[in-house]
Amino acid sequence: MTFGYLIFVKTHDSIDYLQLAYGLALSIKNTQQEGYEKVALVIDDKSKLETLKSSWVFNEVIEWGEQAGWDGRAWMHDLSPWDYTVCLDSDMLFLRDHSHYIDYFIENCELYIPNKSYTFRGEEIFNDYYRKSFTANDLPNLYSFFTFFKKDSNLASAFFDLVKNITLYPKEFSNTFMQKCKPKIVGTDEAFALASNILGISDDISYDLDFPKVVHLKPMIQNFPWPANLVSDHVGLYFDTEGCLKIGNFQQLDIVHYVEKDFMTNENISLMEEIVWK
Amino acid sequence: MTEGILIYCFNNTEVDYAKMSLISAYFAGKNLKKPISLVTDQSTIDWMITSDLYSKAERLFDKIILQERPRYTNNRILHNGPAKYTVPFLNNTRYSAYELSPYDKTLLIDSDFIILNDNLNEYFKIQQPVILGESIQDIYDDKRLGYLDKFISETSIKMRWATTVLFDKSEESEIFFDLVKTVYENYNTFSSIFRFSPLQYRNDVSFSVAEHIMNGFIPASRYYLPSILTTLDRDILHSFENNKFTFLIDENLQENYFLTAISTQNIHIMNKKSLIDRTDKLLDTL
Repeated sequence: MTFGYLIFVKTHDSIDYLQLAYGLALSIKNTQQEGYEKVALVIDDKSKLETLKSSWVFNEVIEWGEQAGWDGRAWMHDLSPWDYTVCLDSDMLFLRDHSHYIDYFIENCELYIPNKSYTFRGEEIFNDYYRKSFTANDLPNLYSFFTFFKKDSNLASAFFDLVKNITLYPKEFSNTFMQKCKPKIVGTDEAFALASNILGISDDISYDLDFPKVVHLKPMIQNFPWPANLVSDHVGLYFDTEGCLKIGNFQQLDIVHYVEKDFMTNENISLMEEIVWK
Repeated sequence: MTEGILIYCFNNTEVDYAKMSLISAYFAGKNLKKPISLVTDQSTIDWMITSDLYSKAERLFDKIILQERPRYTNNRILHNGPAKYTVPFLNNTRYSAYELSPYDKTLLIDSDFIILNDNLNEYFKIQQPVILGESIQDIYDDKRLGYLDKFISETSIKMRWATTVLFDKSEESEIFFDLVKTVYENYNTFSSIFRFSPLQYRNDVSFSVAEHIMNGFIPASRYYLPSILTTLDRDILHSFENNKFTFLIDENLQENYFLTAISTQNIHIMNKKSLIDRTDKLLDTL
């Protein structure tokens, strides 16, 4: 039996997604127990890994770039080299060991997608500022940033087959199933929500669990009393030599989805490389 | 193990905190049936003697503990209904509660907090060194509260309330109160770190910061004392009769009042002057 994480990156004009994925992989290596720290990377140009000092943090590298942008994630089930996989967004960071929760998923789930996220202050997010189409169309509030699935699963196969179809024909699906409020883009979260709704499996694949707790740093859902463009306009993000992250006055212990891509600086990468080398 | 209640009072030119502490002590003693101690200064005691309150204080309080008059730090604007007045804020030595309390387990309360039931007795059983008031609850509607009644600043931690604080004499409590003192003494520095306004010292802020630091800078998973039911200083205590406090509640803070009454729920009465004025008769009977 194999378990591992899966990260998708694609060449982008202004954002170095490989750097983000590298930071995430380093944080996984630095915090997760042996056997729970494997990382596979899906990338459209394998040669870019030569720029990394420790490309070995990616245990498997899959060259694949058939879909534009983030749409490739709809193919996660096909591309994952693991028996059990957690697919993550690249702009995330692990800050402590969560291995024991993975055992729970392996024993109990074929497919699990979280339906909650948290502010940097630890409050559950109820604000639907970025999710009006979910509310209006009564879709399950799914977050694809942490998707657990079993490779050998009919449920997961059926789900991802439909997700791929939605990704290939977004207008057709949104015209039919998101009439009350159409999103500008049918992203992975929307595709997941639609697929689970159409298949009627929302309660089977997404229910309340204490894990994963993912801090979602989109600015308008932090319960600030005013509008915000960036969280970092209002609070500092302090990453230290122990690989610990404090945001404002709050030590972060959960998984952080930092959203602001320029957080993963060369300096932060260096700090994590130092730790992983030790 | 001894259990008791502690109240701080330092009179100023506008508010007779001594009277308020007697009223608060009367209800706390009646409903919690625990001894009560008062922390005050010599000038407040002198005023009690002058105004014939000291003999009542001696009867109501288990111990009267003398403290140096706190250093004046800032003024505070209080309302008495629509009227406004400015008072010097002197209630900034709460950090000394750990050292001064004569009890093994102490409920520290504000002198404008009126205890009308025995619910807080249950909280003495909780094994947690320091338990703060979780939040305030407006008697009318939370819409009358501002963001800064709920958080110490726009980007920082939740506001906990030092209106009610239960603590024991453990080492952790001692560290906690030392930390409250450190925050008090370095209020400007902490205001930069936690982004709260340093203009007016607030015990609630110092206690909230100390708790957050003690908890490792993560949101607390702790016990709290019940949310503090509060009438604002824009509300007016209309009368006190037959153990019932009747208030004129300023619905939208624009002098549109309606009546409501409280008789069995603990109540934080922020309009100090009307509390003093309307309970004069009660004081006479003590």
